[in-house]
Amino acid sequence: MCLQVALPQEMLRLRGLSHRWWRPSALGIPAKNLGLRKVASGVSPPGSPSRRALNIFDRDLKRKQKNWAARQPEPMKFDYLKEEVGSRIADRVYDIARNFSLALDVGCGRGYIAQHLNKETIGKFFQVDIAENALKNALEMEIPTVSVLADEEFLPFRENTFNLVVSSLSLHWVNDLPRALEQIHYVLKPDGVFIGAMFGGDTLYELRCSLQLAETEREGGFSPHVSPFTAVNDLGHLLGRAGFNTLTVDTDEIQVNYPGMFELMEDLQGMGESNCAWNRKALLHRDTMLAAAAVYGEMYGNEDGSVPATYQIYYMIGWKYHDSQARPAERGSATVSFGELGKISNLMSQEKKSQ
Amino acid sequence: MSGNGAVWGRVRGRLRAFPERLAVCRAEAAAYGRCVQASTAPGGRLTKDLCAQEFEALRNCFAFAAKKTPRGGL
Repeated sequence: MCLQVALPQEMLRLRGLSHRWWRPSALGIPAKNLGLRKVASGVSPPGSPSRRALNIFDRDLKRKQKNWAARQPEPMKFDYLKEEVGSRIADRVYDIARNFSLALDVGCGRGYIAQHLNKETIGKFFQVDIAENALKNALEMEIPTVSVLADEEFLPFRENTFNLVVSSLSLHWVNDLPRALEQIHYVLKPDGVFIGAMFGGDTLYELRCSLQLAETEREGGFSPHVSPFTAVNDLGHLLGRAGFNTLTVDTDEIQVNYPGMFELMEDLQGMGESNCAWNRKALLHRDTMLAAAAVYGEMYGNEDGSVPATYQIYYMIGWKYHDSQARPAERGSATVSFGELGKISNLMSQEKKSQ
Repeated sequence: MSGNGAVWGRVRGRLRAFPERLAVCRAEAAAYGRCVQASTAPGGRLTKDLCAQEFEALRNCFAFAAKKTPRGGL
């Protein structure tokens, strides 16, 4: 699904407004662990144009759902997906041969990424999430952390603060994704890097199709039950518009087998990933659920009776511009033509001799 | 999910019993699934109550399984 992208003038104007109105004294806070600082979230600056309909998700409800999920008696039971993606993001952080003194985790949950990183790579980690219970029940980690309660679209940090920003599986609930990416770009230092993971278009397509078919057959029509995801092309454009360069986007698919559709839905709720779109239907009839479970099992089931659920993850890496970064060469500065590619070994040995 | 959560707890309890009852009715569920899947083939159209017969069979099996289990029925 494509997200609407803002006009550049509108974006700049809003950034100007938020810059004047929204800057509390950001980093003068003492550095103690779990220094919870509550920031008003979900409030747009006064005088901002009531926007082109980028209000798909009920953020308040999402906060309640995440709080509820974090307060479960056994939160570890539902952590498997976020743990896995968190470890893959940590792998990508290690792949960058650098140590980051100040890092930020946007939408951290219970700290799935920080768990896999060590003190040498990251000096200090800021954990940002909208759900306070998730921050309170954070997993043990060796890196010193500061937890901040803030919305992903309204990061309360100064410009050019962080060497590294990571985000794992939380940007798909953001209403204004261009703005969130811009905010991330804003708080990054020059030559800083953003590594993010988001759910892609194919995620939970089995569930979506089963519910669609069952609802059509049982009720005569259907309403969306799985939230819209960003397409991979749009992701590249969004990152470019936010100001990142040297982009890398790659996709990954994780398939998890469940005993049936009901267990899948229970797990999704336990993860805090329940639907919170404004256009959701409040009621799912028992008949429809039964029909959908039957369709799911028949259309997508494995031989042993379990059903698969696909999670498609997009990993993106973007850098903030700095003079030291490699740039494309000037037009007309080529010294070798493509036509001579066949003789490249000769050319290279010639160069070595001349050196 | 407000107050003492009694209603919600009861509803969830009933919902948690669904998978086992569905396991009992595997054949009917497969028949219904096949009927719906057939309508997704090129040339088919899925309309309301296209597979009503199969669904009735599934629902009856489900209700029967519910009666058999000691929990309060559907």
